[in-house]
Amino acid sequence: MNPETSDLALTEPGTIGPCHVGPAALLGIKRQQTNPARWNGQNWQEFAAALCDCGIEPRENIAACGTFVTDAGGTAYGLPHGVVIARNAAQISSLLKAAQQYRVPITVRGGGLTTEGESIAFGGVLLDMTGMSRVLHIDTDALTVRTEGGIFWHSLAEELRRHGMDYLSAPLNLTSSVGGTLGVGGIDVNSPRLGCSADQALALQVVTPTGEIVECSDTQNAELFQRVILGYGQFGVIAEATLKIRRYTPLRMHYFYYDSLRSAIEDLQMLDRNDASDYSGILTIMDCAVNLLVAFDTDEREADFKENWQQRLRGHGEFGFVLRMAMRYALRPWKLPEAWYLFQRKREIFPEFRRSEYMRDGLMFDRSVVFSRAVWKFWGSKQMVIPDLATSAEKFVEAVERGNQVCRKYFPRYTLYLVGIKLLPEHKPHYEMSCIPPDAEGWAYGCEFEPMMNDQVYSRDHLQSFKNAIYDIGVDLGGSYYRFGGMMKGYIRRMFGDEVVDHHLAMKRKADPAMILNRDVIF
Amino acid sequence: MFGFIEKKPAMRKGYNDCSGCSLCLLVCPAWRQSRDISLTPHGHAKAMQHGISAADVAVSAKNCILCMACEPVCPEQIDIVGMILELRRQSGAPAWLHDLQAKMDERAARPATLPPSSPAMLLPDRALHAHPAILARISSLLGNDIIIPMGDDDGSDISLALESGAVISKQRMERFLESLRQLKKIIVADGLLLRHLRQWLPNVNTIGLGEALSGHADVRRGLRPTDLYVIEPRAYHTDYQRLVKYYDRLRIAHGCAFNLDLQRIAIPATSRSLPQRLGLMAIDNDEQARWVLHRRGISRIVVESMEDKTAIEKVSDVPVVHLAELVDDGHYV
Repeated sequence: MNPETSDLALTEPGTIGPCHVGPAALLGIKRQQTNPARWNGQNWQEFAAALCDCGIEPRENIAACGTFVTDAGGTAYGLPHGVVIARNAAQISSLLKAAQQYRVPITVRGGGLTTEGESIAFGGVLLDMTGMSRVLHIDTDALTVRTEGGIFWHSLAEELRRHGMDYLSAPLNLTSSVGGTLGVGGIDVNSPRLGCSADQALALQVVTPTGEIVECSDTQNAELFQRVILGYGQFGVIAEATLKIRRYTPLRMHYFYYDSLRSAIEDLQMLDRNDASDYSGILTIMDCAVNLLVAFDTDEREADFKENWQQRLRGHGEFGFVLRMAMRYALRPWKLPEAWYLFQRKREIFPEFRRSEYMRDGLMFDRSVVFSRAVWKFWGSKQMVIPDLATSAEKFVEAVERGNQVCRKYFPRYTLYLVGIKLLPEHKPHYEMSCIPPDAEGWAYGCEFEPMMNDQVYSRDHLQSFKNAIYDIGVDLGGSYYRFGGMMKGYIRRMFGDEVVDHHLAMKRKADPAMILNRDVIF
Repeated sequence: MFGFIEKKPAMRKGYNDCSGCSLCLLVCPAWRQSRDISLTPHGHAKAMQHGISAADVAVSAKNCILCMACEPVCPEQIDIVGMILELRRQSGAPAWLHDLQAKMDERAARPATLPPSSPAMLLPDRALHAHPAILARISSLLGNDIIIPMGDDDGSDISLALESGAVISKQRMERFLESLRQLKKIIVADGLLLRHLRQWLPNVNTIGLGEALSGHADVRRGLRPTDLYVIEPRAYHTDYQRLVKYYDRLRIAHGCAFNLDLQRIAIPATSRSLPQRLGLMAIDNDEQARWVLHRRGISRIVVESMEDKTAIEKVSDVPVVHLAELVDDGHYV
């Protein structure tokens, strides 16, 4: 069969086709697809043979495919027909050209840290980008690094540190990949000063969905650059990236404790507005113990904070906060289980942030290691749902307070992670239809709502209802989300509106005629 | 204030608990060489969660070098080394180890040994046996009360059987352990054997050779701030929580650099798998050793393991010395 004239019908993106069992069922009811149907495998053998002719042999055995059966969320499952480990841009180009010809879906995976099934292949090829993990060039004078797109941020940090350098901003997760992060944003506790990780990209080598290898930046093929950055993998595969870097410095950390979300958020925003710290963010144990962390790269910045800003914060030191908590729960003995939980969490978590091997003379070395190890140890599990809200600064307190009420309704234990993102005016074209809310000026703010599921088993319906309840707040307030793909893509049109989404869909169709690249993620 | 409420150490979990965080990839030399997840603990665990058999991952499980770096970084505290050894056991011992069983049977049939004449014993590994002069220095440094096993029963056959997935008979195990039970202290050069001896003999103080030598005052005095100290990974990762602080104190006291990554995991100086280590595969690589040395700015390399010394000497242009060579008849070299 000639694939060009095949009657193979790819379902209209974002919708579910007619039901083959009961074609008259649900007539007139518009349905949006959330969990993708598995691709039917048509033309797979011909496609695989064409790849072999190009020297690419997809691994089809069960061990290779089963490795990628789910993502970090652990709530969506799907198997590829075959796995290809990315090795270079030319190989990816051949793969995508063949995929266009035979209309085979390609799902690109970096660290696989998605939670809504975005990096799961529901049939077709899973392209494992971690095969491209080399650092190509470090320029300590120009303060840039050129690296392959599949590299984990931590592996990049290992190389940079041998040169006395560090990346600027990356997710607090050691196994996020550079390419995956640039495609979705990437938030760090220095994002209130530096913007998101994607803002640190200076240039990219992209393999387009039709297999062209293109160098792009804000001055070269700018339109492609703008679409690939924060583009959720729709407009190309990031084979290489040039990123800003800096000289490495350890951190001077400070923690302030609140029993009010509102006060902590207001103080966080006050610090951000006044550029009072180099790093800032909020991590909570439910809404009971709210920890504002503030950190500095230099003694001078720390001294300036202590002199001008510290006394304005309404948070307490550790001892003062423990006293307040003791008084609070002494007056509310029926809440003692909650107090016991707080005590247990404190006893487990706090030492992890102060391990002696990462502290020297009061300075924290390798913050990403400290935070990421803690994240996986205390917040990771086989199932994770982390719905989030991103809003302008003005709407943020309301968004968090309403989201907190949803958490209380659905789960006995949860945590919130809140951080600001400095918006760079020159990058406004990058932000369209992304996690950056369209109405945000100066800073956007994001909050992740993560239930502590531990060994408790929740139905997918319960988890989906929880996510919907959080995302409904975003629709109501006119914000955005970090995780709006995969199982949550039904919210994209509600959030951004038909005009914007149709505009992006038209661009996608033009760039990817067979709609094969990460086809079920957004559209 | 509530220190009396002690938390019990968590039991190690199985592959079914792998959440797929990939932290094990970051420290895995097999992954660093291949960038192939199927060769890593993550790949094994996820594939087994999906229902594949031990035979399906036999080849990749045999490529693991058992540096044990993945265990301390696993947030789920999965018994990864146990998982790899079990996969090897299930897929059967390789044919090229046919003489190992005969050797173990022969040792099991030997008459019982006399009780040890001293409360402390050194169990050298294959690489140390190949360097008798270094072994003699070590013996001298550790003192007269340290004994080395009579004959050749140092457990090297048991270590090889563990590593290759061969069955160890009850008789052989009993013969090996019977004299060790009466000791107060065992110093072990083979990190894999160390890990198991700590489980088999929980009442005996069992430590690695690197820790024993680096705890010696004369050896410590020989360390320089411009040294790169290469920790033997198996012993280090076996007792990571304690030793990460031990070596950090050594760093503070002497200023030398270590082969530790940003997670404070020991980077192995060699990424050779078992077949390669035994010389049964021609493929070898120097890339791992080069990565250990990359942009270190050092004047000398100090190693705990003779195997590391051999690997590093191939790619290094600065002197490589064993810890025991830091003291020479009372003079520092």
